[in-house]
Amino acid sequence: MIPKLFSCSLAKVCAPSILNLSICRVGNSLGGANCTHLCQVSAVFSRSLHFSSPRSKEKDRKYYVQTSLPRDEGTDGEKTTGIDRAHRRKDIFPDENTPNLIFDGLKFKDLPILNIRVSKNNTILSLADAKGAVKLLRSCGMEGFKNARKGTNIAAQAAAITIGKKSLDMGVTSVRINVQGLGPGRLASIKGLEMTGLNIVSITDSTRCSENPPRPRKQRKI
Amino acid sequence: MLRHARFLARTVLVKDGNVDAAAKVVNRLLSADGIFDTWRRTRFYEKPYQMRRRINYQKCKAVYDEDMSRKIQFVLRKNRKDPFPGCY
Repeated sequence: MIPKLFSCSLAKVCAPSILNLSICRVGNSLGGANCTHLCQVSAVFSRSLHFSSPRSKEKDRKYYVQTSLPRDEGTDGEKTTGIDRAHRRKDIFPDENTPNLIFDGLKFKDLPILNIRVSKNNTILSLADAKGAVKLLRSCGMEGFKNARKGTNIAAQAAAITIGKKSLDMGVTSVRINVQGLGPGRLASIKGLEMTGLNIVSITDSTRCSENPPRPRKQRKI
Repeated sequence: MLRHARFLARTVLVKDGNVDAAAKVVNRLLSADGIFDTWRRTRFYEKPYQMRRRINYQKCKAVYDEDMSRKIQFVLRKNRKDPFPGCY
């Protein structure tokens, strides 16, 4: 019973496809001038009908590839250098005029600085004026997160929200962010500051990094 | 003190309040320049034998990656006159 049903359904499923195939074959076997003529007509039709931009773009690309010089297969990086696309955007990087640009009634160089010190086990945020005198300080430990919980993105976000609100209460609305170090709080603290409504003018990284630093501590034995 | 000019080097200005994008640009550029890698590597002292091994490994990996990427490019190339030679 079951095989019979199965075969039945198979036949039903297959029937249209077989029909299509046979029609195709017939069309092909007719061949000769008639078929080519039909094909030509369809090609002409397709060209005249499909004049939308994607099609013309595709044709342009093909033409470009055909006419361009063959790709150099030398050593990678021998003649070309990989440059990030962000470098093309001139407006997001500071130049010699940036320190004197006015943001929120203050020059860029006089804006308060929000230093974020990120480490593996903690995140410390401090608000300082343009000369570096600290006005506010907040860390994940001060938020009530203790031990391993200090080194989480949630703790960093909570600390950032607190310091953001406090700085808004102080009347500081625009800040430059200065991030130092790598850790779970790196992006989370910036996100927390953004959530408070603080106007973030720029993001700077000042992670101390040297190829040959003074000898670091010995490796951990795990 | 850092030797580079503060708030001029390694700085991205936030445009149209898009803080997330600016933070991502900073992170992407720093990781592309290998600054994060260097930072991670220099947290603990790397003994000379470890440095030798790491550099040899990186050399071998670079050669292998280059060859492999070229092979993949060759197999995946599409702009040829007869896209599937020998097939109808």
